[in-house]
Amino acid sequence: MLTTLLLLPFAGALAVLLIPANYRVILRLVALITTAVTALQAISVFSAMQPGISGFQLVEQAAWIPSAGFNYHVGVDGLNIGLTLLTSLVAFAAVCISWDIEKQTKLYYLCLLLITGGAMGAFLSLDLFFLYFFNEVALVPTFLMMGIWGRGEQKFYATYQMALYLTLGAMLALVGLAMLYSASGANTLDVVTLSAWLGQHPLSASSQRLLFPLFLFGFGTLVGLWPFHSWAAPGYAAAPPATAMLHAGVLKKVGLYALIRVALPLMPDGVRTWMPVLAVLCLGNILYCGWLALRQRDLALLLGNSSLAHMGFCFLGLASVSVTGITGVVVILVAHGLLAAANYALLGHVVRATGTSSLDKLGGLLRPMPVVGFFVVLAFMAGCGMPGFANFPGELGVLFGAWDRLPLVVIFAAWGGLLIGGVYMLRAIRSLLHGPVRAGLESASDAGSGIALYWRSLPYAVLLVPLIFFGISPDTLVRRIEPAVIPIVKSASASTPPTVDSKTPSLTSISPR
Amino acid sequence: MELVVTNAVASVGPAYSSRPEDIGWFILALPLFASLAIALFLHRNRTLTLFFSVGGVVAAFLLSWVLFFTFGVTGLKAVPSPFPWFHAGGLNVNLGLAVDGLSTVMLLVVTGVSALVQFYSTAYMRDDRGFARFFASLSFFTFSMLGIVLSDNLVMMFVFWELVGFSSYLLIGFWFEREAAADAAKKAFLTNRLGDFGFLLGIILVWSLTGNVQFDELAAKLKADPNALGVWSSVVGLLIFCGAMGKSAQFPLHVWLPDAMEGPTPVSALIHAATMVAAGVYLLCRAFFLFQATTAWPAALAFLGSISALDIIAVIGGGTALLAALIAIQQNDIKRILAYSTLSQLGYMVMAVGVGGPDAAMYHLTTHAGFKALLFLGAGSVIHACHHEQDIWKMGGLGRKLPVTFRTFVIGTAALAGFPLFTSGFYSKDAILVASVRHGHPILFGLGVLIASMTTFYMVRLVIVAFLGRSRSSSAEHAHESPIQMTWPLVVLAIPSIGLAWLPLGQYLTEHFFGSRVAVEEGGLFGPFNHAPLAATFGTGAIIFGAWAAIATYWNAESDPLPRSLAFWSRVLRNRFYFDEIYEALFIPIQDGLAAVCGWVDRWVMSGLLVRGVHGTTELAGRALRMVQTGNLQTYTFLFVGGVALIILIAL
Amino acid sequence: MHATLNHYLVVSVLLFSLGLFGVLARRNLLVIYMGLELMLNAANLALVAFSRYNANLNGQVMVFFTITVAAAEVSVGLALIVALYRKRQTAHVEDLTSLKL
Repeated sequence: MLTTLLLLPFAGALAVLLIPANYRVILRLVALITTAVTALQAISVFSAMQPGISGFQLVEQAAWIPSAGFNYHVGVDGLNIGLTLLTSLVAFAAVCISWDIEKQTKLYYLCLLLITGGAMGAFLSLDLFFLYFFNEVALVPTFLMMGIWGRGEQKFYATYQMALYLTLGAMLALVGLAMLYSASGANTLDVVTLSAWLGQHPLSASSQRLLFPLFLFGFGTLVGLWPFHSWAAPGYAAAPPATAMLHAGVLKKVGLYALIRVALPLMPDGVRTWMPVLAVLCLGNILYCGWLALRQRDLALLLGNSSLAHMGFCFLGLASVSVTGITGVVVILVAHGLLAAANYALLGHVVRATGTSSLDKLGGLLRPMPVVGFFVVLAFMAGCGMPGFANFPGELGVLFGAWDRLPLVVIFAAWGGLLIGGVYMLRAIRSLLHGPVRAGLESASDAGSGIALYWRSLPYAVLLVPLIFFGISPDTLVRRIEPAVIPIVKSASASTPPTVDSKTPSLTSISPR
Repeated sequence: MELVVTNAVASVGPAYSSRPEDIGWFILALPLFASLAIALFLHRNRTLTLFFSVGGVVAAFLLSWVLFFTFGVTGLKAVPSPFPWFHAGGLNVNLGLAVDGLSTVMLLVVTGVSALVQFYSTAYMRDDRGFARFFASLSFFTFSMLGIVLSDNLVMMFVFWELVGFSSYLLIGFWFEREAAADAAKKAFLTNRLGDFGFLLGIILVWSLTGNVQFDELAAKLKADPNALGVWSSVVGLLIFCGAMGKSAQFPLHVWLPDAMEGPTPVSALIHAATMVAAGVYLLCRAFFLFQATTAWPAALAFLGSISALDIIAVIGGGTALLAALIAIQQNDIKRILAYSTLSQLGYMVMAVGVGGPDAAMYHLTTHAGFKALLFLGAGSVIHACHHEQDIWKMGGLGRKLPVTFRTFVIGTAALAGFPLFTSGFYSKDAILVASVRHGHPILFGLGVLIASMTTFYMVRLVIVAFLGRSRSSSAEHAHESPIQMTWPLVVLAIPSIGLAWLPLGQYLTEHFFGSRVAVEEGGLFGPFNHAPLAATFGTGAIIFGAWAAIATYWNAESDPLPRSLAFWSRVLRNRFYFDEIYEALFIPIQDGLAAVCGWVDRWVMSGLLVRGVHGTTELAGRALRMVQTGNLQTYTFLFVGGVALIILIAL
Repeated sequence: MHATLNHYLVVSVLLFSLGLFGVLARRNLLVIYMGLELMLNAANLALVAFSRYNANLNGQVMVFFTITVAAAEVSVGLALIVALYRKRQTAHVEDLTSLKL
């Protein structure tokens, strides 16, 4: 079941590869059908998964390089079930909004499907080698798409900057994985085997303290952890909408997912040493990036910084190392994925209809485009933490979970989420939608009329309807997530036995051979 | 680290047996369903829009009566089957309802006023191109407000609290193309958010101290152990009060309410008179048990000693009431006068809670909802008749031209002023004055009497200037009575403004809050004069004085004489004590300044110094190394041979 | 006087140095190429001398390989030089610096 889900986007990519480049309609249909089927498959996986049970379900395994301990191993639990659903929905919406792409259509859909498949693989793989591999599979077409279909004068600078940041982050994480592989002595990077092994033979405290920051900053950079955030806002502003949707919505989440999956449960001593640092850095995201968003007069940059501010809540949840907090983080991952994708899709529409994303040149758009305006209001309200959208229960869980350990940080975070978030989102609505219509924008095209209206609204609905559903009934997610989070928090807060086994491999034993 | 997983999830969840309290879910769902149906499918069809919107709220109103007679009157409490919402770690939140004496009364108020306002709007908004959008938002607002009323725990309360903020944002900014409306909507939302910030922290604090957010369980816990909140009890109270301060527009967060009058008048009646602003008072009453905990302050605030959170609340309430009544005296916009009067009455209610009389506060809330909605709808009728003229000095003589509006408006004015014996306002105001005397707050009692007198003054001024005398503008000259859809809600609302006084509502609420105290109170028309003659007499005296002063000043006045006689004070009052200017000069620059600093740092340090710096040094290093590449084959060979020689030398 | 290993090695070193000098000092590609051949043969000479000295055939086998490979290399190299000359009308290394940015 999961292998089918993983292979579907790649099968679609192969089909796109085989179709001649001038059959545009067929290319589009293939991409649309592929992502639609993927979404249906993801939904059936979601419903097939039993809530309330800890451990992996629907597991499928196959030997790959048994001697090195690298094996194909996929499965779902509370942490990734929502993310697979997210991936397929965002991919479908991204194909929907890309209907007008005329330039190199074939390559475009090929890249899009590869990103989808890569992200899906990264979330489903329980072998960290494959997790890393699939993440890279998805990153390369991302940069390609930014370079070819991006917009703005700073396009190439932004692409280079993003590529370098993300590559550096990924390199750090790779070094961390390699060191973990050799330091653990388990001869595997399979999450299940590795955590069982490390439960018996924990890493020495000193090597944990060295390894942990590699993961934290490596994967953290992929998410835009302050102060490694500069790539995000300009990068997404330059990317074509579909790429921004897939990266900000889906791919970025791999970093946080890997942190929860790997760094927290395997290195309790590292957690103890580094989480206070993270608690401070997360304020960098929430407050600093929030204020940056307040400052922006370009909608694209505003959304980019607001997205970074949301990531701050995730880091706060991690730093809390509590069941409530981390459950909240996983809810935010799904919610923010849907929201960020919706935001960039809507931004894409505004830019296409008006030719600009500068708030100084826009205004009163609710009159000419009521349907898109309606979706924008919904999305922006979700962005400032309005209940009824899934972001709210997630952030609530984080704030509640973090209170016992980090009350001061929670106060600042609540300020950032409620006040700063409210101010920049409302200012954006005020400048974009409210007020008299700007000259020249009276006939900016809305989502269309008649049957086209439904077709053009579909991508936004596909993203916002689940967002509202999970907002009204977060329990659907939470009762799947919590059983997976409990053992992670348990091992993350476990203390290393004071008598360190002399045979335990330590970092000093790592040598080039 | 708490890792205990409660099995609460398994035990809750809807049981599919029909119980009367499950009607609560229908009441909540009907307006939501109407709103969604209109927004998604029906917005092109006016008739269906009206049918769903009005039908939804009327059905909710009728069902509320069922709940009121089943649970409210009998004093039973019931919890409809809850839905699990968020159960992780130690946080257990259900989507649950509380049906009891308090919520059923409030349900009637909210659905009743909503229904009348919707009827009224069918005529008032007839020609607006956003007709469907208006009704969808109105229904959504009713839904969120009902959510606040029915919530059985703090988190759900917060959820609907925010949703009310959102729907009022939609309604205030309904005419979004007008800059003033768009700005007012933003301001209302953000000011409320400031209050919600404190509210949220209060909820988190309560949860971390008790591990619970359910009202009934918290109340039981505090009853068993009044020290359960430890040294934080008073701080918790004040933080929860922050929420009420935002929604009920208490000083210093009162600035949004007058601006909110930019919304359509029915919205002002619904939101900014009867329901949303009452939510803060309702919250204080709902969570009143939190304030009954032992007064205690953490070490940093120990200097406050025995001053309790309630004392602070009472002072803030009284201060707001006084401030707003003063400002109302010198406003000329009919809606703004009513807005400040609302502020003042809300302050009255908050003061009542603060002196320990939540029953009196709820009583006044209920009666006030009726006559203030009446006044706002009456003002709407006047504005409609005068072609959107809102300045009372450009009206005059409307009494003869708008007979129904005039008569009902006078009834509303009398109720707001608290005219003895015949109006509901008299009894509820009296209850507040009695509460302040009885709980030992003589200064607040005096303040209450003073405000009552000022209330009468500005309301009589409004009636004299707008309705009596001669017409002072052509639009007032040609005014004629509004259509029947607008006048009959006025008549309907006039009934509770008088009739509520004769129902035992006060006793009912006292019984809800304090159990058996009802036996002491003596009801009946002359009750106030019998059991608390001091309060009733002073109240009546204040009204007579206020009315006399207003008649003496404004009878046959062509323009306001006060700006001449009280030049400085009049200017200060006209400018609302310059609160908006002060806030604009004080708070906005701070937030924007911080944003500017971060923007500067990000531009010059982050992407400038660091990112461009790394980029620059890498490129410089590249340039330097490029010098070595001469392109000359023999240079390379020479270096190569030299290198080999060097290695051999080292190896040997 | 009997010719010892050292004599062969000295000749080999002289040959190698001559070749290296040619490679470094001369500007014409063909002459540089000849210098290279000299260096190659110096190595061959040393290998044969060592083979004799150690009384086994390993060194000589190596020399046969070298000669074979050198033959192939010379043909490819000369072909490249001729092609280059045809394209650029010169075989002087100062004129062939287009690898520099």
